[in-house]
Amino acid sequence: MTPARSLYGRLLIWLSLPLLALGSLLLFQAWRDAQTAADRAFDRLLQAATLSIAEQVQWQDGQLWLDLPPTALKMLSGKAQERVFYTLIDDKGRYITGNARLPAHPDGRNRQDTDTLLYRNEQWRGMAVREGIRRTRLEGWQNHKRFEVRVAHTREGRKRLATRLWWSSFAAILGMGVLSIALLLLAVCAALAPLTRLRHAIRARNPRSLAPVALTLPRELAELREVINQLLARMRRVRANQERFIGDASHQLRTPLAGISARAELALRQTSPEQWYNALATIHVTSERTSRLATQLLSLTRLDNPEYSPAPVRVDLNTHIHQALLEQWPAFRQAEIDLGVDCADAPVMVDATPWQLDEALNNLLDNARRYGASRVTLGSCREPPALWIEDNGAGIAPEQRLMVLRPFHRARDDGHGSGLGLAIVDSIARNHGARLELSNGENGCGLCITLTFINEVA
Amino acid sequence: MKQHGTCWLLGMWLFAWASCLSADTPGDEAQTLHLPAQAPAMKALSLDIYAALDMPQARPLLKAFHQRYPQIEVRYRNMTTLSLYESFLRKPQRADVVISSAMPWQFSLANDGYARALSKDVLAHWPARAHWRRELVAFTFEPIAMVYNKKLLTLAEPPRNHAELLALLDDQEKALTGRIATYDPARSGAGYSYAMAESRLSPRYWDLIAALGRVEAELNTTTAQTLQGLADGRYWLGYNLLGSYARAFVEKHAELEMVIPDDYALVVQRLAFMSAQAPHPETARLFMDFLVSEEGQRVIAEQTTLGAIHPDVTGAGSAAAFRVGAGGAMRPAEFDPQLLAALDRLKRRALLSRWKREFHQATHTVPAEK
Repeated sequence: MTPARSLYGRLLIWLSLPLLALGSLLLFQAWRDAQTAADRAFDRLLQAATLSIAEQVQWQDGQLWLDLPPTALKMLSGKAQERVFYTLIDDKGRYITGNARLPAHPDGRNRQDTDTLLYRNEQWRGMAVREGIRRTRLEGWQNHKRFEVRVAHTREGRKRLATRLWWSSFAAILGMGVLSIALLLLAVCAALAPLTRLRHAIRARNPRSLAPVALTLPRELAELREVINQLLARMRRVRANQERFIGDASHQLRTPLAGISARAELALRQTSPEQWYNALATIHVTSERTSRLATQLLSLTRLDNPEYSPAPVRVDLNTHIHQALLEQWPAFRQAEIDLGVDCADAPVMVDATPWQLDEALNNLLDNARRYGASRVTLGSCREPPALWIEDNGAGIAPEQRLMVLRPFHRARDDGHGSGLGLAIVDSIARNHGARLELSNGENGCGLCITLTFINEVA
Repeated sequence: MKQHGTCWLLGMWLFAWASCLSADTPGDEAQTLHLPAQAPAMKALSLDIYAALDMPQARPLLKAFHQRYPQIEVRYRNMTTLSLYESFLRKPQRADVVISSAMPWQFSLANDGYARALSKDVLAHWPARAHWRRELVAFTFEPIAMVYNKKLLTLAEPPRNHAELLALLDDQEKALTGRIATYDPARSGAGYSYAMAESRLSPRYWDLIAALGRVEAELNTTTAQTLQGLADGRYWLGYNLLGSYARAFVEKHAELEMVIPDDYALVVQRLAFMSAQAPHPETARLFMDFLVSEEGQRVIAEQTTLGAIHPDVTGAGSAAAFRVGAGGAMRPAEFDPQLLAALDRLKRRALLSRWKREFHQATHTVPAEK
């Protein structure tokens, strides 16, 4: 179960890992506690043994005297049958008696009058021992000489006790861990239940339905539901747009076709070849316009197809501008419009799909030719890479500028344009991640359209 | 040099202890026993035993072991407890098994880590009180007894316990003067350890010592000296004799009788351990195993006077039989670190000075301890 693949697995892993870390920490703490507890229990033996030996220390014949109580050694050994060692040291650090010469405690500062007891673990003669050192003094009538009783025993009993304590803690912690993991499983199941509900609800829907999902869900999933609903709403709008577009397109195509049909019918009733010629000329113009409309509709559909995304290639804007200029030059000349070019000196390199770029240029020039009055200038600039086209026509009012980008919207209803030119340019701009900007032309009149290729290097 | 003085004193004392325990050995008997391997073709196995256990007691045990494992070459060295302790400390890597009745010394060696623990299953059946950390194993049961000469019967009934002995000494002070013998705790290690144990058992022990002092009891250093004196008729009663040796002696001397006190009887136990640096640990383990096995213990019960303590050996010569005979008065020496107290030099001086004070109370001439 890879965490990335299953939400369930992810939750389990991210919840059990801290649990595991916490468990280890607890076990470590339990081990230390067990050792402290064992030391506390066994240090009492050291304490009692040193005390019972120290009680028997007297001053006799000008020296320290000890009547060693055998039970002190037995006590020190305890049930664990530890090895035992004891040493009596006088105030000058001399060995008085004992079955071993136990080392002194390094903490030699503690020299005040009170009775002190020090413990330490050490490795002595190859054995792990715990040493208890009692520093005290004689309680005689005159003599208050200090002395030190050192006792030591091996640590086997402590180890056994600590291990036993630790194992019982371990069992408790393990039990708790198993219980928490079981609860965790249940909790994760319960928490993920609404997700399953949502999945079932979506799966059970009619695939054609774009109605919002209505389901009571926890907050986090409610957000998801909202996002899904927003997506559905967008899809509804897109579908409405598509329906309108199809309606508009049908309407746009039907009108000229009806005109052609009516003109042809009228011409058929007449007999004069001159009238036929006129009718044919009209039909020719209308059918050409209709054909162009159909072409534009096709290219718009092609551009809007999200499945189609050709790989862009590196092209020079100037080359394409000059090519478009050559193609459109005769049409401009016929319309008696002055067409000029103002390109950057160096090549302007951008990543683009060549046929789309050409399509955009043709549509822009076509648009300018139709509405651009007497003068049109096409150009490019390098910083940032952009192409622009400017005319001295009537321009478009700022509030209309967004509207004209929608299909079949025309700024003026003069019956010549198809209303698709700027919509195509807009689609191409979006496909290239470029910014399409409409502004006033030079001297505040006319229209300037700029297509800026963002994040492109010249 | 004070340090040297102490060592010398300790040495003398150990020597006294040792000589008392080996007193029964005739001087001309060899103190080593060598049992060669029976099958020399096989891989040579050998076993070195250092012991303070006299030949008459040791031989049956070793022979039985050798019969059981004929492929093992056994080298047995009997020594006094002193030389045993010293030679072991000098070369701990020479001996495989060490046997001695000097309990405090054996205990001290085990406490200092010279012994190797036996495995759990070897001692599974062994009484918990008869081993320490599975390193040191008590394998005999030797009560301390009184032996009297039948001449005593002309005077009074023989005492059956300590109280009757005290009463007898008080009643017949004149008649018994010079007729009683016991251990000198100052010169004998065994006597010292009995004194230590008894003084802890009852405060009336000191009354008994005072009474012994009043009858001017002879203070000997070995069981053998006292037994010989009893056989000669010099002493009428010997107090605190090692039962395992006395039993064999009394059986040969019709005029002597042995009494195990019925109020309390001290018990000495031989302690054996396997050296941590044993050169032949495998055979050492086999021997220790044999020592605590029913087979080995049966040899001890039937062919020696040492007293077997295996729980399944119940016939004559076993601890169980001794216990039944003594009516539960057997007091084995505490087999725990209390034994170490006996080795404390100040403890020894304190006990001996008390002992001398009580013993010489009657004469009021307490000689200063040396």
